[in-house]
Amino acid sequence: MSSPRQGKLPAEVYQAMYAATGAAKKGLDPALVELILIRASQLNHCAYCIDMHIKDALAGGEREERIHLLAAWEEATGIYTEAERAALALTEAVTVLTDGFVPDEVYARAAEHFDPTQLSHLVSLIGVINFWNRFNVAFRTPPGHQR
Amino acid sequence: MGLMRRSVGAMTNAHGPRMHFARLAPEVHRALAGVEAAAKKDLDPTLVELIKIRASQLNRCAFCIDMHTKDALAGGERPERVHLLNAWEEAAGYYTDRERAALALTEAVTVLTDGFVPDEVWARAAEHFEETELAHVLGVIVAINAWNRIGVTTRMTPGTYRAAPVKH
Repeated sequence: MSSPRQGKLPAEVYQAMYAATGAAKKGLDPALVELILIRASQLNHCAYCIDMHIKDALAGGEREERIHLLAAWEEATGIYTEAERAALALTEAVTVLTDGFVPDEVYARAAEHFDPTQLSHLVSLIGVINFWNRFNVAFRTPPGHQR
Repeated sequence: MGLMRRSVGAMTNAHGPRMHFARLAPEVHRALAGVEAAAKKDLDPTLVELIKIRASQLNRCAFCIDMHTKDALAGGERPERVHLLNAWEEAAGYYTDRERAALALTEAVTVLTDGFVPDEVWARAAEHFEETELAHVLGVIVAINAWNRIGVTTRMTPGTYRAAPVKH
């Protein structure tokens, strides 16, 4: 089971990914950004990332209920907006590519709610959180140190 | 886990409750509540809530997640232990070995269609729970799976549940 592995990203990669994360978030609603980051981290079982992004979301004023229900957002009527639901569906598809790629319906639904610039930022954000999830799961970065 | 693509078909937010199960089948509802009460009565309430939340996450029962996260927090559970349940295997230091064994059993029994209940999972649970306890843990897992299936099928709406201030 999971003892930490002392892995470290090469400094240049870390800086580049950090910059990419900042760039991807531009123009997106910060509340939506955190929902996406939490949901991808749940799917990838990244404990460190879930801890970080739930704390960030709560610090940003997010409601506890909207965080707890993310694991069942499709069934959580009245808790998320249509735009958020479209973004979450896109997050799931892009995160779990091995289960059917990104279906046309999922992409089209996102495109209804986000303009092309926003959509490219959304996909980028999903890409970068998947990078961080994979890095932290691979190196077993322990959760609980975020404030 | 093969659960994701279900989203594709059901894309509407017009997703209200389909029926009031407790009103239409009150005897079934009461009997299920009896099953649940009998299953959990000698188990650690903290463990019971972890099992219920995790099964509800896997089954995507929004109403059940809402209820059991609120019950767990009202019962004094730490928010971090609730938040990290989605990645409990990777959350080193948050759950005891006994809780982890029960969570592994919960996942196996909940997702029977993904490999039944492997011997390792059962043996690990049997290391941490004596036989009577283990039978009751299994009872809790089965009961929450029944509630999850009712909650998801009838589309019970989350968000309105309020936990009693002191539970158990």
